[in-house]
Amino acid sequence: MNGRLTARDRLARLLSVIPWVTQQVDGARIDEIVERYAYPREQLLADLQDIVFFVGVHPFTPDCLIEIELGDDRVHIRYADWFSRPLRLTVEDQARLLTAGRSVLALTETDESDHEAASPLLRALAKLSIALGDEGSGAVDVRLGSAPGDTLGRLREAITEGRQVELEYYAYGRDELTHRRIDPGRLFSDQGNWYLSGWCHSADGERVFRVDRIKSMLVTAQSTKHTVIAGDTAFAPSGDDPRVQLRLKRDARWVIEQYPFESVDDRGDHLTVTMAVTASPWLERLLLRLGPAAELLAIDSPLDLELRRRAADRVLNRYH
Amino acid sequence: MDKLERLLNLTAALLNTDRPLTAEDLRARVGGYPDEKSSFRRTFERDKDDLRSMGVPLRVEVVPGIDPPIDGYRIDREEYAGGELHFEPDELAALNFATNLVRLDGDETALVKLGAAGGSPAKEQVGRVPFPDALATLISAAADRQAVSFIYNGAERTVEPWRLSFSRGHWYLSGWDRARAADRLYRVDRLGSDVTLAGEAVEPVGSIADPLDLRSWELGDGPAVEATVRVDPDQAAFAQHILGDVSLADDGSLTATLQVRNVEAFRSFVLSFLEHAEVIGPPQIRADFIAWLEAQT
Repeated sequence: MNGRLTARDRLARLLSVIPWVTQQVDGARIDEIVERYAYPREQLLADLQDIVFFVGVHPFTPDCLIEIELGDDRVHIRYADWFSRPLRLTVEDQARLLTAGRSVLALTETDESDHEAASPLLRALAKLSIALGDEGSGAVDVRLGSAPGDTLGRLREAITEGRQVELEYYAYGRDELTHRRIDPGRLFSDQGNWYLSGWCHSADGERVFRVDRIKSMLVTAQSTKHTVIAGDTAFAPSGDDPRVQLRLKRDARWVIEQYPFESVDDRGDHLTVTMAVTASPWLERLLLRLGPAAELLAIDSPLDLELRRRAADRVLNRYH
Repeated sequence: MDKLERLLNLTAALLNTDRPLTAEDLRARVGGYPDEKSSFRRTFERDKDDLRSMGVPLRVEVVPGIDPPIDGYRIDREEYAGGELHFEPDELAALNFATNLVRLDGDETALVKLGAAGGSPAKEQVGRVPFPDALATLISAAADRQAVSFIYNGAERTVEPWRLSFSRGHWYLSGWDRARAADRLYRVDRLGSDVTLAGEAVEPVGSIADPLDLRSWELGDGPAVEATVRVDPDQAAFAQHILGDVSLADDGSLTATLQVRNVEAFRSFVLSFLEHAEVIGPPQIRADFIAWLEAQT
């Protein structure tokens, strides 16, 4: 909610700010409005002074206008009868809050039946479910990702205690099992999978790992040395990676929804897409899966156009 | 006049009337609209869209006593304020915490409306979940036991929705397909049309055996076929994690028999292991798999 707000964003705020302020007997503190409604202070002051001051109904005589009294740090609003109650939450608003709330429940692995005195979140979600018409609150279920055994829990512990971990990690893109020592940074879920970002001592750089590809892990006694700064996106192609150009049938459109691409020509009955190849097995899988839906148009060295045929031959060797 | 001032005055005018007001009435009463007729129309349409997108229940009604009939607009005050949905301060704080921790794709005005938008944007955001267009309608239909209609795989479906589940990066709808008289699972991002409500649900709510564990090859309309795959030792742990309760052989490899309703998805799954996995049977699926690869050599 940073940056300048649009007229629509400000309207959404004011339709709640005005009724709230009118209900405060001694007016409202400016700072509190800024905080509650994520309304940048400068903008709020300008809007109250230059806009809300002139709001009313036809014929806009003084008795038909909102009365607003703006002090140094407080504001009073009166006679805003039309705005005496805030705008409702829509079904979409409610569904979104419910979804965010249920995601957090999935995150903390809370067992709802464990809580005899329901947490504030559970109470809020129960109210939202009822508002949506659901008595059982079972309409939404969220899983942020899964991880084998207690890997997530042990990684969380290692992060809290600042311990290095040793991973046996299946590098899916390169299709190989690797051994690494990591300073774990943070855990996050993106599009349904858990990721660990951290400093990889083998690669001497920051890397992101998918938690469900950790085959085994060991928490060492060594303290971490590196602080991980960024790392909350799963894919990070580098500038040096070779590029590939593919011609895709329309029903293979999911490729550009699932993977990052550099450019796409989406106009005709085919798509032409250029993508970075972080590791060749990734591209081999993609091509073998797509079959006739994808045509390999061009590829940078050291990869070559025979890559697909060789990959198909390797797999076929198992069957001969 | 500033656009914000015009929108506020428009909302006030619409709330302040019991009788629907025509576009011309509103132009005269609200002020700030262009004089020229077609640009007034465009601005007025955009204003209406803005109000609706925020959830303002703008009613369109025929203005009484005018011939020929003409449409007018108003906002019902009760409808505008909605039902009694009141949250305690600690509940608001919990919702604020939740939306900061897990970011949903798209526009977030609910917290602003509740006056609970405070707090710095989470530095510890741990999750991102997509929120496709149809999802809100489906969630509310499932909660409120309403049937829905949409196009899926090119065919019109009428479904009594049970539950919306997010798993492995996708939203799934489970429910009762009326025409097929059977339970079904649909990927929400693959719906081929808007979702429309289709009356009350009549069948009891059921559940598909933990839909969250369903894998892509289990999604289909066809009958299930048993297919067997073997995965090499180095990749077995990863495969085991996806397949769940499958044990490993002494050499560390994995052999699993899967219920396949979608052969293409099964093929893709096996190919994701490249040369480290093999389709064992049945013979037809194995032969098709080989033919698929030979076409690429």
